[in-house]
Amino acid sequence: MIDPEKIPSQVRMCSACPKMCRHVCPTFFAWRSDSPTPHGRALLIHQEIKGTRQLDERGIEVLYQCLECAHCLTWCLPEIDIAEIVEHRRTELVKEGRHPAGLTSLVANVVEHHNPFGEAHNARSDWIEVSPKKGKRIAYFTGCTSAYREKEIVESTVKLLDSLGFDIVIPDEWCCGSPLLRTGFIDEALEQARHNVEVLNSLDVEEIVTTCPGCYRVLKQDYASHGLKLNSQVSHLSEFLETKIKDLKTARIEGKVTYHDPCHLGRHMDVYDAPRNVIQKVTGRKVVEMERHADNAMCCGNGAGMRLLFPEKAKAIGNERIRQAMDVGADMVVTACPFCRNMLASQSGDEIRVLDLPELVSLTLEDE
Amino acid sequence: MDSKIKTRLMKRIESIVGPENVTVHETDTVLNAHDAWPLSEAKIRAGESLPLADLVVFPASTGEVAEVLKVANEMEIPVTPVGGGAGTCGGTLPIYGGIQLDLKRMDKILNIDHESMLITVQSGIVGIDLEEAVNRHGYTMGHTPTSLRASNVGGFIATRSGGSLSSLYGKIEDLTLGLETVLADGSVIRTKAVPRHSVGPDLKQLFIGSEGTLGVITEATLRMFPIPDERRFRSMAFPDVHSGLTAIREIFRHVTPSLVRLYDPEDTAMFVANHFDVDEGDCMLMLGFDGTPAENDLSESKSVEVCLSKGGKDFGEGPSKRWWEHRYDMYYPNRLTTSGYAIGDTIDIVATYDKLENVYYAMKKAMEEHDAIVMSHFSHMYQNGGSIYMIFFTNQPDAETAWATYRRIWDDGVAACLREGGTMSHQHGVGLSRTTYTEGDMGSAFDVLRRIKKVLDPKGIMNPGKLGLGVRD
Ligand SMILES: Cc1cc2nc3c(=O)[nH]c(=O)nc-3n(C[C@H](O)[C@H](O)[C@H](O)COP(=O)(O)OP(=O)(O)OC[C@H]3O[C@@H](n4cnc5c(N)ncnc54)[C@H](O)[C@@H]3O)c2cc1C
Ligand code: SF4
Ligand code: SF4
Repeated sequence: MIDPEKIPSQVRMCSACPKMCRHVCPTFFAWRSDSPTPHGRALLIHQEIKGTRQLDERGIEVLYQCLECAHCLTWCLPEIDIAEIVEHRRTELVKEGRHPAGLTSLVANVVEHHNPFGEAHNARSDWIEVSPKKGKRIAYFTGCTSAYREKEIVESTVKLLDSLGFDIVIPDEWCCGSPLLRTGFIDEALEQARHNVEVLNSLDVEEIVTTCPGCYRVLKQDYASHGLKLNSQVSHLSEFLETKIKDLKTARIEGKVTYHDPCHLGRHMDVYDAPRNVIQKVTGRKVVEMERHADNAMCCGNGAGMRLLFPEKAKAIGNERIRQAMDVGADMVVTACPFCRNMLASQSGDEIRVLDLPELVSLTLEDE
Repeated sequence: MDSKIKTRLMKRIESIVGPENVTVHETDTVLNAHDAWPLSEAKIRAGESLPLADLVVFPASTGEVAEVLKVANEMEIPVTPVGGGAGTCGGTLPIYGGIQLDLKRMDKILNIDHESMLITVQSGIVGIDLEEAVNRHGYTMGHTPTSLRASNVGGFIATRSGGSLSSLYGKIEDLTLGLETVLADGSVIRTKAVPRHSVGPDLKQLFIGSEGTLGVITEATLRMFPIPDERRFRSMAFPDVHSGLTAIREIFRHVTPSLVRLYDPEDTAMFVANHFDVDEGDCMLMLGFDGTPAENDLSESKSVEVCLSKGGKDFGEGPSKRWWEHRYDMYYPNRLTTSGYAIGDTIDIVATYDKLENVYYAMKKAMEEHDAIVMSHFSHMYQNGGSIYMIFFTNQPDAETAWATYRRIWDDGVAACLREGGTMSHQHGVGLSRTTYTEGDMGSAFDVLRRIKKVLDPKGIMNPGKLGLGVRD
């Protein structure tokens, strides 16, 4: 978390930067205006701190248009973290009751149903079938998106972990709190978090595995920074599979395979190699990299409430990312995030196949 | 602007570009107001407000630009074109309000002509996006300004910008073959893309460097080059500016490097000596060569021979290569350059060799008289002369003193340049920061520009106050 005392000097510096990172900001790409840009956001906060001009409704919207993808940080020599600064200001805006109205239903859904979609909680995991196994006992934290919207991710993950002999436990999880934390609703997020910590700590498991980078970041980092301690290690599936790489098989997969780094896994959690190594093992070939990859990967457009508030712009960003994959002649994009999978698949048309990592790896099981 | 007029204008513009592509929100006018003029940046840091447009409009096509201009012309509303918004002269500041016409949505590549090695683009495409796109086909644009990531083609052309490799590839006026421009009354004119011609004066050159005062550039046909097999670097330290310049002049009599930069003692101390063991007072010459290995062998060995004969000390590829790899770094804000009321700028003058050294010393002396640190490098060199980045930096106790000091350094710096026969800008343009010096620089020729302006933009709607034109009381 950012030290709030550092914010005034940082936004002062950034607000008048000659736009050195703007070219990678996905919201600049989508709007082609200097408003939804890193320095634009900094300028709004700077003017507010200086007393030059107060944040109005449009200013608040500009702050909420940020995807918190942190791509600007990769290009910022003075290392000004706009995503953190924006998130901090959002937290205050929520306290002031000035957040965008479009978020109200999301928050209410999470509070009431423990998922952002307003789906029934009892339908979250009642469809997931796991069979007891002799191997290491692990909890699989599916996250809301895979549980309700991208079920193939859950199915393939369970099948895969099962085939590797793990004894899978599906906990009575609630939303990890990521969509609330990222949009500034700390209190509501912590309510979800406390439930999850209690449930996960009550399980007799050796490791918690998740397929969602949003959940992964929150479970591993945000819970701890709010004083909530999980007793077991948290891993993203890509890291977990990397430790079992010898047991993974190679499948017959035609064509060029590229990898899309999810922002929450890559830039926010520094996991770049594990998914690539797993893909390499499964396909038998090195990943064909897009021009913008690893810490320079473009966001898919599906982060921090963007798809809810500005669906057309979110899709335009996702569409551009698919175009970037086509630029390197990819036939398949593999990612490691249900949000990215969802967005990229919605924009891929017939030309390019989009799979999440467990879906790719479970192709090795089909070959058997 | 009167609110009734504004509502009427808004309605008409909305019907042209669609309601989502025009904004009157104050927040948007604030965030889109400024370019990278250091005075605007310093004022922003100090918490001052800048002049705002009444509307920011984002057209998507030449047709929409034409319709917007027709309306603005009829209603006599000022129009300030905006490219990447990274110019350094305040060219996009809407000092008389009205419309900011932002071309960033016009970012399409329209055609690549592999036979003629030409590319036709809409003017709002950002430099880096264009360069990366042509790289995929094995070409380079040869245009490498350090604003490549932020500025766009329209801005490059409107300011006659130049990249750091302009010794070999030329500036944007050499790289542009055809143009489409919309005039103040909404008429669209096109100049044909041909390598050379002899059908009267080259009218496209009228718009190259016109900074939005004569029309809006909407499309351009630009040259491309095959990506060179090799880019090679070499560096030489000279005991003073004079010997370095003598070597440069001599090099150009034999070969044409792509990169030629000579750092004066202060600039060498600041940006080279912290990484390389340079003697105090020495001046670093950085050279780059683009070509096949065999071509580069020849150009490099000739250049080395010349440098050694003029007292150069060989530093290998180090300083030159390091500069190239870190060329963007110095433009990021840092604690020193943004503290308090710190302000700096670059006066990017140009002169022929017979005057260049005199211009340098005269400007340095004039600028240093105002409590400023001055460091310089000869930045873009050619057969007949070149440009100097006269960089200054000052930090004053309060805003008023800082902005006044800044202005005096400019006044006296430019006056010294003109007195010694230089021209006040090689590539950044005039904009607002130099607008009052334009007539002094152009002399009697300025009257031609003034008359052309009257004919092409009789109501004076196009970017008033810039380039010495349409300055109102
Ligand atoms: C970090 C940094 C490094 C720089 N390095 C260089 C360098 O190496 N070489 C160099 O030459 N310059 C450099 N510059 C200066 C500047 O970026 C260039 O001069 C550039 O050409 C401006 O382009 P822009 O798109 O940002 O223009 P803007 O700032 O948007 O506009 C500049 C002027 O052109 C007008 N204009 C813009 N688009 C159009 C159009 N389509 N039709 C008509 N008028 C238009 C505007 O009204 C304005 O007067 C640098 C600037 C920065 C901030
Ligand atoms: S985040 Fe860094 S690079 Fe980007 S505008 Fe701010 S200071 Fe400049
Ligand atoms: S975090 Fe992402 S969306 Fe937000 S300002 Fe930075 S680059 Fe843009």
